[in-house]
Amino acid sequence: MVHVDAVTKRFGNVLALRGVSLQLKRGRCLGIFGPNGAGKTTLLKILATLTRPSTGTVSIAGYDTIRQGDKIRPLLGVLSHQTFLYGHLTAIENLQFYGRMFGVKKLPERIAEILCTVSLESHARQLVRTYSRGMRQRLAIARVLLHSPALLLLDEPYTGLDQQAAACVQELLRQFHAADRTIILSTHDIQRGLELCDDVAIQCHGKIVYCSPALGIDSRSFEQLYVDYVR
Amino acid sequence: MRAPRIYNVVYAAATYAIMIFALWGVFVYVPTEQVQGIVQRIFYFHVSSAFTMFLAFFVVFVASILYLWKRLAWWDHIAASAAEIGVVFCTLVLITGPIWARPIWGTWWSWDPTLTLTLVLWLIYVAYLMLRVGAYDERRARFAAVLGIIGFIDVPIIRWSVEKWRTIHPKPVVIQEGGTTGLPSSMLFTFLICLAAFVFLFSYLIRERVSLAQSQHELERLRHDLDISLLR
Amino acid sequence: MFMRQVAAIFMKDLKSEWRTREIFTSMLVFAVLVVVVFNFAIGADSELIRQVAPGVLWVALLFATVLGLQRAAQMEHEDDCLSGVLLTMGDRSALFIAKTAGNMLYLLLITLCTLPLFSIWFRINILSHIAPLSVVLLLGMLGFSIIGTLFSIITLNTRTREIMLPLLFLPISVPLTIASVYATANLIVGKGLSDITDYLTLMGVFDIVFLVIALLVFDTIVEE
Repeated sequence: MVHVDAVTKRFGNVLALRGVSLQLKRGRCLGIFGPNGAGKTTLLKILATLTRPSTGTVSIAGYDTIRQGDKIRPLLGVLSHQTFLYGHLTAIENLQFYGRMFGVKKLPERIAEILCTVSLESHARQLVRTYSRGMRQRLAIARVLLHSPALLLLDEPYTGLDQQAAACVQELLRQFHAADRTIILSTHDIQRGLELCDDVAIQCHGKIVYCSPALGIDSRSFEQLYVDYVR
Repeated sequence: MRAPRIYNVVYAAATYAIMIFALWGVFVYVPTEQVQGIVQRIFYFHVSSAFTMFLAFFVVFVASILYLWKRLAWWDHIAASAAEIGVVFCTLVLITGPIWARPIWGTWWSWDPTLTLTLVLWLIYVAYLMLRVGAYDERRARFAAVLGIIGFIDVPIIRWSVEKWRTIHPKPVVIQEGGTTGLPSSMLFTFLICLAAFVFLFSYLIRERVSLAQSQHELERLRHDLDISLLR
Repeated sequence: MFMRQVAAIFMKDLKSEWRTREIFTSMLVFAVLVVVVFNFAIGADSELIRQVAPGVLWVALLFATVLGLQRAAQMEHEDDCLSGVLLTMGDRSALFIAKTAGNMLYLLLITLCTLPLFSIWFRINILSHIAPLSVVLLLGMLGFSIIGTLFSIITLNTRTREIMLPLLFLPISVPLTIASVYATANLIVGKGLSDITDYLTLMGVFDIVFLVIALLVFDTIVEE
């Protein structure tokens, strides 16, 4: 489903990605761990077609991200550090906007459904700027799931959330994963990442230095592995 | 892309020689013009600067298009260099213009169409340079390329509008605006030499500047890769 | 699909602006301020005032536009909403069209509000010339919106955006400024549309040329 082939990305004089390659089959969940500055966000941005790689190719569901970006985007749900939510609009209005942009059918029902899923029905008519960080993240996830994408790209979904909110997000992702959708996420949260993911990778200084299925790896040994690689 | 040293020296020498020749032409060879006197000699530099300025901005235009198409940093270096040099020649036009105008028309500035166009272009391309401040950045280069394209396409439109505008404003004493029609052959000859000298100068400057930009770019890259490899 | 996206973005911007009305009020107040200050600066000579009136009107509108453009673009800068929107789009020019239409709408609204004041203070009878004047106003505003929106997106992430936007926008729009002012001046003294065809042509050419260019380069601008 996702093929990344020898991708490099240069920002001015900074080489953010130095030859990243990976494959991911449909329906699997990949967790990318790595220190800040490793290039995780850049990699996710390239996958999201928000930016082009300097060299190398990326294909998602058979489409090339550079030339056929418009065919890929409807298949993607992207969660970034920023929530992409409009503060002066209500939750419903935000979802209405994104729903219309994606051409989601039966929009009002879908919105009600998704707000229920993320437990925000009671706050649906409040302006987003009054929301807490946890609520915003949940609404962002609602935004991301609204158009039922085939591939979720999440950049540090648990960061900045308290335990309860993070657990809620985890549950949502688990449900999504159970529905046989593909997920790629980057995170510092080793425990949650291992819980959810089928495959794990460690990224450091713009390269993927470790990649393997997560089966059978426990938290502690992975932490040790991580520390070793990152040094 | 770097030519052998000897080629650069020869090129520099040729530019130098042709400049000297032009200076001789303007200050020694050509006879003093009847009506305007000695001041008229500025005309050769003024118009040559203007021509070179337009040439430079045209290069920016073409290089910008090619950059957006090919996404090669080299085209961006050319566009940036041409813009810098273009602004220099533009400034020269804006300085020689008033120097010429004052003794002839009694006023430092007349809003004649070409001079006004030059003023607006100066603003546009100074904005271009301001947009580019800092190290080479792919995104900034794209923005600059867009401006390079828009700016040049605007030139005829600005010219048209300024001409219309000027017919409303009082004209200074009408003078032949440096057109080559009606120039005696010695003046025409001198003018062409001067023009050729300026174009040579432009091409020399742009080669040097592009080479400098490329070296800078590579230096930054190497420095960064070195930092990275030292980290491991 | 395309038109639906244009409409969605346009309505979203309007809804958001309606909640705060920040853009509209700051543009309007600024335009009125400019007109007032010019009045004081020029003096009481009514003949002189009538002569410079069209210029003052358009200067006020232009400066208010610069202010409005910055704030309108700022809406997409918070929480990186621009990326969010781009992710939903195949053909990105829908975003450009929606934003340009939005900016033009704000400009239209403040013109409607400023014209009566202008009419009173400068003692110029706008109403009798309102039909041909609207043509000039629309053509001018369209051009300013097109160029303005393009540059407001370009300068969105620039550190020195407050000076870069006017510095880019104003020189490039010089032809449009000239044409708008002198077309308006001609209309106010009673000439008809047929007398200002050359200005109208200039404005029309400007609008079309830069609309085409904007649509062609917009994709490269919004790409990160």
